[in-house]
Amino acid sequence: MTTPTSAPRFYHFAAAFGTGGLLTLMVLFNGTLAGFGSLFFASWVPHLTGTIAALLILLILRPKHTSAVRPPLWTYLGGVSGGITVMLTSATMNTALALSGTIALGLAGQVAFSLFADMRGLFGLPQRMPNGRDYLSLGLIVAGSLILIFFGGSA
Amino acid sequence: MILFAGLAILAGVLVSLSRQINGRLALSTSAMESSFWNHIVGLGFITAAALLFGGLFAGEPAQAPWWAYLGGPVGVIFIAAGSWLIAKIGAAQTAMLIIAGQMISGVVLDIVMGAPGNPWARTAGVALILAGMWVSHRGKTR
Repeated sequence: MTTPTSAPRFYHFAAAFGTGGLLTLMVLFNGTLAGFGSLFFASWVPHLTGTIAALLILLILRPKHTSAVRPPLWTYLGGVSGGITVMLTSATMNTALALSGTIALGLAGQVAFSLFADMRGLFGLPQRMPNGRDYLSLGLIVAGSLILIFFGGSA
Repeated sequence: MILFAGLAILAGVLVSLSRQINGRLALSTSAMESSFWNHIVGLGFITAAALLFGGLFAGEPAQAPWWAYLGGPVGVIFIAAGSWLIAKIGAAQTAMLIIAGQMISGVVLDIVMGAPGNPWARTAGVALILAGMWVSHRGKTR
């Protein structure tokens, strides 16, 4: 079911870090769009243009399927979860939580559920038990992020 | 207030859930195909929600600068990368490093754009995040 996993390499770390940089760009672009149009519009447009871009990339690159077995239907529903996230975020942003509180609590939810998912090997992904070093690293990154969110003026 | 706090936490849980589901799809197909399905299914969902609640084209969206419309293609790479990474380094590591990259690039962007901010808090925050990445990297890669 699960593929054998190799030890993480440096380029995995670099790629994940760079992926976070992409998120900053997305927040900038989509957030600017939301400043002119509705929050729905600011999420609808990138999903529409993203669908077209992904289709073009698929047609050009034609990546091979890693498995001949068709994946279960629920694996196609990741986009629904993403869509609900947009709606929840727009609902909480304008409350007393403000943007910084929404981001901080979202970060907590994301980290906690990711750890739980790793321990259980949820959704057919490889199971991993975090060790002390993982928790220390996680604690440092969360602490640094909270300082930036609440005191760094970057929210 | 507690309700909204719960919803904000739930939003974070759903970010992780979405990445896991996309990651599982990428295991059977490819990261790019997973990103495609994430976008087209999300598009259908948001379209349905917008039809239900209305107001999709409210405001002055045509007044937005052209570059504000570039989020989609960037998102395609973002979802594909997350789907690929989660099976390689796990959900927690993926989330953690993406957050680290987002926070530090956010500080860089703020400085470039001249956004006001406390330089001490920025330095301390970035230093803690880099320390966390260093601790993790020392223990994992070879």
